[in-house]
Amino acid sequence: MSDFLLTQIINYGAPILGAIVLIGAMGAPFPGTLIVIAAGAFAKQGLLTWYSTGLIALTCVVIGDNLSYAMGHFAREPVLRRFQDSENWIKAETTFNRWGGMSVFWTRFLLTGIAVPVNLIAGTSGFGFRRFFIYDLVGEAIWIFGYGGLGYLFGTQWEVVSDILSNISGLSLGLILLAIGIWLSVRQLKTRPQRNEVL
Amino acid sequence: MSPGKQRILVTVLIVLGILLAGFFGLRFFHTFRELRRHGPPPVPPLASMEDAPAAETDVELIRDWMTVPYIAMTYHVHPKVIFDALGISPRGNEDKSLAQLNEEFFTQSPGLVIELVKATVQAHQPTPTVESVPPSAP
Repeated sequence: MSDFLLTQIINYGAPILGAIVLIGAMGAPFPGTLIVIAAGAFAKQGLLTWYSTGLIALTCVVIGDNLSYAMGHFAREPVLRRFQDSENWIKAETTFNRWGGMSVFWTRFLLTGIAVPVNLIAGTSGFGFRRFFIYDLVGEAIWIFGYGGLGYLFGTQWEVVSDILSNISGLSLGLILLAIGIWLSVRQLKTRPQRNEVL
Repeated sequence: MSPGKQRILVTVLIVLGILLAGFFGLRFFHTFRELRRHGPPPVPPLASMEDAPAAETDVELIRDWMTVPYIAMTYHVHPKVIFDALGISPRGNEDKSLAQLNEEFFTQSPGLVIELVKATVQAHQPTPTVESVPPSAP
């Protein structure tokens, strides 16, 4: 898949890059980070103009993110009908409204694998659109210009950078899951003696 | 959530976390060593920033997804030279990747096109010149 997309970018340039990141932001399993880094390298070679390509890609990816937020927003009614009275849903909604901004921000460029679910949850949980838009725009700007800039810096050796960044992303996700698991188990251990005392 | 289900969730999170962190951590370590071996290319002096980028010389960086015009631009070799070496007409084939050209024209020999292109590009690289060293004083 990535080979085919790379060939299309060197043939047709920024519009194809824009289409790829837009569709990727709506949930298609495209290797977005690899494509953005490669685009940076192509810009260095003079195949793409870095500022216009960057702006097209940023506009497209933000549109894609907002469309997936909208999907979540329009699914809110049926979800609420089903879970409105659920204590867990209310807790999840409150938690997302508290931490959602950071979730949106970090999933734009570091934990990109869970960006689409975060968009959907943001839309469904009633997370404010303006807040979503600002965090999304800043995070995606880092993704496009930061990662694209690394591709520009490393030129024809961009594949090594792409490997490193995708490994950092996977490593971060693993460490976050591990931290949540440890935090939950510590909380369980803390509540257990209290239960015993009550008994 | 019942305590039993909570315990399963915690176990799954911890095991999955360890597996992901271990797998990607090892890969990260491996690729980081690669990066240190290559290192970022030197930043050109400001005066040459506006000029066209220097030609790439490492033919091992040629990939199946690249097209002939793209390789020609990257390695500063005329596209006609590469198409002639492949025995293919440029017309209608300029936007095809090396993999597509291989599939279309050399179905029986997988990987032939990329090898031919590498050899052609290598043969057209400028030969390194030895800088004249001033004779040392007696």
